[in-house]
Amino acid sequence: MTANKYSVLNTRVHNVDGYAKVTGRATYTFDVKLPGMLYGKILRSPHPHARIISIDPTEALKLPGVKAVVTGKDTLGVKQGIWRRYPELCDEQILTIEKVRYIGEPVAAVAAITEEIAEQALDLIDVLYEVLPFVDDPMEAIKKEAPMIHEGVERNVNVTRHIEWGDVEEAFEEAEYVREDWFKLGGQAHMCMETRATVASYTSDKKLTVYTSTQSPYYHQALLAGVLGLRESDIRVIAHYVGGGFGGKFELDASQFCASVLSMKLSKPVKIVFTREEDFIATKRRTPMFYYVRTGVKKDGTFCAREARVFTNGGAYTGMGATALYLTGFFHSFPYKWKAYRYDGYRVYTNSLPSSSMRGFGAPQAMFCSEQQIDWIAADLGLDMIEIRRKNAHTTGYEVPGQATIGSCGLGQCLDRIEEWIKARGTLPKNRAIGISAAGFMTGGIFNWFDSPYSFSSAVVTINYDGVVELHVGAQDIGQGSNTTLAMICAEALGVKLENIKVHSGDTDHCPADLGAWGSRQTLMAGNAVKMAAEDAKKQLLEFASAKFGYNIIYDLDIKDNWVHNVARPERGMHYADLVKEALRGKDGQRIIGRGHYTPHRKGMISPAYSYMVQAVEAEIDAETGKLSIIHCTTAHDCGQPINTLGLIGQLEGAASMAVGYGCLENMPVEDGKVMNPNLVDYKIIRAPNMPECEIIEIDTFEPEGPYGAKEAGEGLTNPTAAALGNAIFHATGLRMKQAPIMPEMIVNAFKEKKKEGGTP
Amino acid sequence: MEKQLLRFNVNDQEYELFINPKTLLVEALRDHLGFAGTKRGCDTASCGVCTVMVNGMAVKGCSVLAVQVNGMNITTVEGLEKDGKLDPVQAAFLDEGAYQCGFCTSGMIMSARAFLNETPAPKDAMEIRRGIEGNLCRCTGYNSIVRAIDAVAKGKYREGA
Amino acid sequence: MIHDFTYLRPGNVKEALAMLAQHRDGAKIICGGQSLLIIMRQGLVVTEYLIDIKGLDELNTLTYEPRAGLKIGATTTHRTIEKSLLIKEKYPVLAAMEEKLASIQVRNWGTIGGNLAHADAAGDPAPVLIALNAAVTIASSAGVRSVPLEEFYPGLFETVLSPDELVTEVLVPPPPAHTATVYQKFNLLESDQGIVAVAVSLSVGDKGVCRDARVVLGNAAPIPMRVKNTERLLIGSKLNEEIFAKAGDTAAEEADPVADIHASEDYRRHLIAALTKRMTKEAWEQACQA
Repeated sequence: MTANKYSVLNTRVHNVDGYAKVTGRATYTFDVKLPGMLYGKILRSPHPHARIISIDPTEALKLPGVKAVVTGKDTLGVKQGIWRRYPELCDEQILTIEKVRYIGEPVAAVAAITEEIAEQALDLIDVLYEVLPFVDDPMEAIKKEAPMIHEGVERNVNVTRHIEWGDVEEAFEEAEYVREDWFKLGGQAHMCMETRATVASYTSDKKLTVYTSTQSPYYHQALLAGVLGLRESDIRVIAHYVGGGFGGKFELDASQFCASVLSMKLSKPVKIVFTREEDFIATKRRTPMFYYVRTGVKKDGTFCAREARVFTNGGAYTGMGATALYLTGFFHSFPYKWKAYRYDGYRVYTNSLPSSSMRGFGAPQAMFCSEQQIDWIAADLGLDMIEIRRKNAHTTGYEVPGQATIGSCGLGQCLDRIEEWIKARGTLPKNRAIGISAAGFMTGGIFNWFDSPYSFSSAVVTINYDGVVELHVGAQDIGQGSNTTLAMICAEALGVKLENIKVHSGDTDHCPADLGAWGSRQTLMAGNAVKMAAEDAKKQLLEFASAKFGYNIIYDLDIKDNWVHNVARPERGMHYADLVKEALRGKDGQRIIGRGHYTPHRKGMISPAYSYMVQAVEAEIDAETGKLSIIHCTTAHDCGQPINTLGLIGQLEGAASMAVGYGCLENMPVEDGKVMNPNLVDYKIIRAPNMPECEIIEIDTFEPEGPYGAKEAGEGLTNPTAAALGNAIFHATGLRMKQAPIMPEMIVNAFKEKKKEGGTP
Repeated sequence: MEKQLLRFNVNDQEYELFINPKTLLVEALRDHLGFAGTKRGCDTASCGVCTVMVNGMAVKGCSVLAVQVNGMNITTVEGLEKDGKLDPVQAAFLDEGAYQCGFCTSGMIMSARAFLNETPAPKDAMEIRRGIEGNLCRCTGYNSIVRAIDAVAKGKYREGA
Repeated sequence: MIHDFTYLRPGNVKEALAMLAQHRDGAKIICGGQSLLIIMRQGLVVTEYLIDIKGLDELNTLTYEPRAGLKIGATTTHRTIEKSLLIKEKYPVLAAMEEKLASIQVRNWGTIGGNLAHADAAGDPAPVLIALNAAVTIASSAGVRSVPLEEFYPGLFETVLSPDELVTEVLVPPPPAHTATVYQKFNLLESDQGIVAVAVSLSVGDKGVCRDARVVLGNAAPIPMRVKNTERLLIGSKLNEEIFAKAGDTAAEEADPVADIHASEDYRRHLIAALTKRMTKEAWEQACQA
């Protein structure tokens, strides 16, 4: 590891909001209480598919303490969605008017003086449904005779995506070995510790304040304006602390919508907090998929052609599902050079909870199929699992034809280091094996399907008389530590110590617009904006310093560790805070303000940069019961320049815990449109005793697009684990597990199958 | 329904409440006394974010009727800091970055504190892991939390250390 | 949401029994409430009166006498049992079972009496206690009776308690010589309830032959289930790998498991076979050394 040349970057620091969090002083939406606040509850459809004939709230309104009942008919009835550029994909009314399309869909909302009364009122709302035939399997929904879920959407296919380069047929001809496999990928729940929560407060001066658990205050400000008929700037969204997001909290949800509608009706604050059950059944999930993969290679392992056909279970509404459909096909080619590649994706509506975006965004599903099949091909051909990857790995500058240009790429080094690590592990006991998976992921999605007119990220740096820096960003901290990461970048760029930086985020009244915490974008995009703002402020300060010091013009001035100095003679200088005082006086009492922004231009269609990793999972399989024990998880990781050291470790370990869940714990069966385990007893989240030790091997690269060479860390890390686990099982037992999550019963059944086929169990 | 008188000590302070007996301990603490550090996160007493100490024992505030702690000493996360000085567990969490979104953190710190009070010298990492087994965390993957607890157990935060 | 109730707090067992006698079906007992409060919050249990016996120190006892054996008062917490040196010495399987029950928070407040009275077939204590040949003492204002724990459960989530009765203690006979009792549950996460569970108690007699066997399955039937055919298979033989495997198969056959989202019926039987095989072997090896 090279010595750290930076003062602040890549050092272990306390998170800037750490003190509040460890003392219980952090106020989440869950904690917000306003004077005169009412409590809201949502009435949800018990049917997967039905027409709403009538909704009668009369009895509910009679219940003492009930203040209002609203239905879709009390709203503008806007069909909204996050893909604002494409109205045909804005298909969700939230409080639906004509039809319900999934069990749990909101049909009415109540506001009452206590939560208990609001809940009692739900039972008194009389809804008349005309139950319709439903379909919850995408492979059934796509048939001609299936019920049509959205008017005019034939075969329930609402999005298709196609990615292709090279001549696939020709490349398959050239291949000397071809393998095809089918896979089934499950959904997954975000399971944020804080459920969806909103306090909406509308006042009769037509201003709406919304406290909400969100990944993007700006998106929610704009989306609410669209559905409520308010001016964007008259809506203030506040999210000081957010209890987790993981991709589930940047679309409009029923807590925000219903609380706002109720509040507007009553001009009183209304609070809606989802129960854990509501959070499971009626929020958008990771997209379940069916994958068909056909791959052709040369006998020496050179990749020739790959063809993939994917059907995704879109659930009842689109959400971000179109992006997941695209990205799964894009990342299914990662991180390798394919002579020819073809992907066809079909997103199918079904009468079940909508599928949208969850950390990894379609890539974990893609890697489960691709990385396992590659190991099987290697085994079929007697090739080494590292070598086959090395042969075809992305390299710096590689052009994914028609799709993307790869910037920095440390994949080769990742492979080398993991190869070393595996060798050092030596021989493993019986029933235990190591499986690997490579992956590459985007560092900030370039898509502006939200149709925002603003820069993707903006930042303002304001320096006070005492040298404290007020850093205003729109980037949202949801636990990933963006406040701290951005403060570190600001401190490094300005040349001051971290404790000088005060971060302001999570309030649309006081912070610039930012697209928010999704698509692994904030370190690169908001980081670039912050760096630009800090450098702007520094430049202004150094203009004063230059005039003050009166050095020969050839000399450079800089600020480092609060010391403004001559670069050639660093002992000559002054304290930063003293310079600030003089600069302020020199500017007629005006504080130094630096501005920065970032929007990717001419960086392709997907992302300005890509992170890379190779992960090795060591697992033990009890062949008799099928039980898996994950012993160890080691990742060689290229995120360019690490910024927040503790944050990076936390992201690696946290991503691993979520991805292990996807690989072998978080089974989420949906039967007849019903989520069968909407609680934390039956839906298995990993706990401390089952969590493997994790190790990170940082690979040194520099990404020119990123601030100080930084790339994302945290979402890409969810990509490889399920695949690596599958490969561990393969190497330990010879079983090819084609369904995620891999449950012990499946392993036992696979052994039985194998025995029947005559193979050694 | 007859309201019940509840007298209890929370964070070294005596309180008296007159409450519906179905009030859960977490509701008494959050809604009646304003100690919002303790959170709620599920309907099945599974997640542990509501963990507080009752007479030094870690319990889930969502699964205890407030009236049952009459006359007892409750400690919430707000009660750990003494005279402006963080509890070693809190300091260790800061040093190890043993939190991310922070929503589980109050309950996690209470479980960690109770565990260390009972087991000041855990024999290995697995014993620590079992000590926080009742607390879910979706962000950290637990390992940083285990490191923080281990640092306290190893004496890093002892007076004069 | 919990429905309103009238809260009663008896000062001693006698008062509690008088309250039960008065209110009968109109009253429910709460002790630790670790199971009860969850179902009350879901509105599945509605009661006019709630009698809180958590504070009854009379029943917070744990004693052992060489002749009578172990006596655990009903309001004794799981944590007390888990940490008891006496239990670790005399009935290590009980401590081991408690260590993996739910979570520390639940064990700190939840009680053995409450757990047994809740009658969850997936609960950990019942199969182990049945393997140990435990009995429960049941009191009412009319008197006291004793019921072997294996007769305590007539059906799913049912006990033999009348509305005016209260479990006051659990009695476990002194550990017989040359006997070992073991317990294991199968789950994905360490302290979850078992998808299935097996408790086995084996006694070695003269000439190294199995003198007695008690095999109890958890979550494999509507109630904790003694599999008597399996026991008969074991008694009278010198146990070996073949018999362990056969015991597993027999237990799997005898069981009456359900299918749910966690496991099919077939897989439950498969697990019962595997676990029973392993636990009979483990119990046998320990008993031979005891």
